Amino acid sequence: MDSSQAAHASAAHDEGHASVQTYIRVAVVLAILTAIEIGSLYVPGLPNHALVTLILIFGTLKFALVVAFFMHLRYDNKLLTVLFVGPLVIATAIILAIMALFGAYLLLARG
Amino acid sequence: MSAEHAAVADNPNIGCTGLDHRKMGMWAFLGSECMFFGSLIGTYLAYKGKSINGPGPHEILNIPLTSVSAFVLLMSSLLMVLALAAVQRNDMKWGKIWLFMTAVFGAGFVGFQIFEFTHFVHLGLTLQTNLFGSTFFVLTGFHGAHVTGGVIWLLAMWTLAMRGKLGPQDSLKVEICGLYWHFVDIVWIVIFALIYLIP
Repeated sequence: MDSSQAAHASAAHDEGHASVQTYIRVAVVLAILTAIEIGSLYVPGLPNHALVTLILIFGTLKFALVVAFFMHLRYDNKLLTVLFVGPLVIATAIILAIMALFGAYLLLARG
Repeated sequence: MSAEHAAVADNPNIGCTGLDHRKMGMWAFLGSECMFFGSLIGTYLAYKGKSINGPGPHEILNIPLTSVSAFVLLMSSLLMVLALAAVQRNDMKWGKIWLFMTAVFGAGFVGFQIFEFTHFVHLGLTLQTNLFGSTFFVLTGFHGAHVTGGVIWLLAMWTLAMRGKLGPQDSLKVEICGLYWHFVDIVWIVIFALIYLIP
């Protein structure tokens, strides 16, 4: 494939990526979220169920930011989102099913 | 039909969906990887707290050290998108620098993991010690192998760039390599939260 074909091909599947400034802003937010996530471990008197909830929320936010901005799913064709989110939902269901089958509710039952 | 549409129609890499097969294939692969790591994470959580002998996670996991390595991997994702942006705008000088730095950060993460594994073995935790050891080493070991593969891929891209064989016309190759790299990062975000941070 020559360069003009590559450019056309690129135009065919890319609907535009974020700017470098956006990438840096996202990285700063990721760093702040990580700092809060780790810092929450050292908050005295924080109940375990609140700690687990906080960690799960911050982890999910970080995951979503990387997928949406760094992996460009926010800007790309929705078919790619379906290709990734479909198996991700199945994977989450697998985790919950295995935990239920083994009676492993330790993750949320503490505190 | 416009000239642009004709060029796209003539491109064997563009299918009836209008998407590039290579990029779509990578996303399908990453989808299958979600289920692979989902199974390993599910197994770890199912056996959590069920080891009949020690050492257990609370006695052995070093959260401050792993926080540093997790942060290194997270920031390598920023370097990867900076590399892609540089290649796309034909700034190959910075493209090479960011690609190499991403590989260095990835290698740093693998170094942290080798140190951690060695330390755990010295403390008496191996694959055979207990359920925690088996599930922990299999899960984090497979992740480490993925990161190692990613570092090799990044170094291959960097070598191509150094030889002048990687330019803006190859930005899709860098983007696909980046998709894989970001994926190993998001898997670690999940592993770090579920295995290291949750008590």
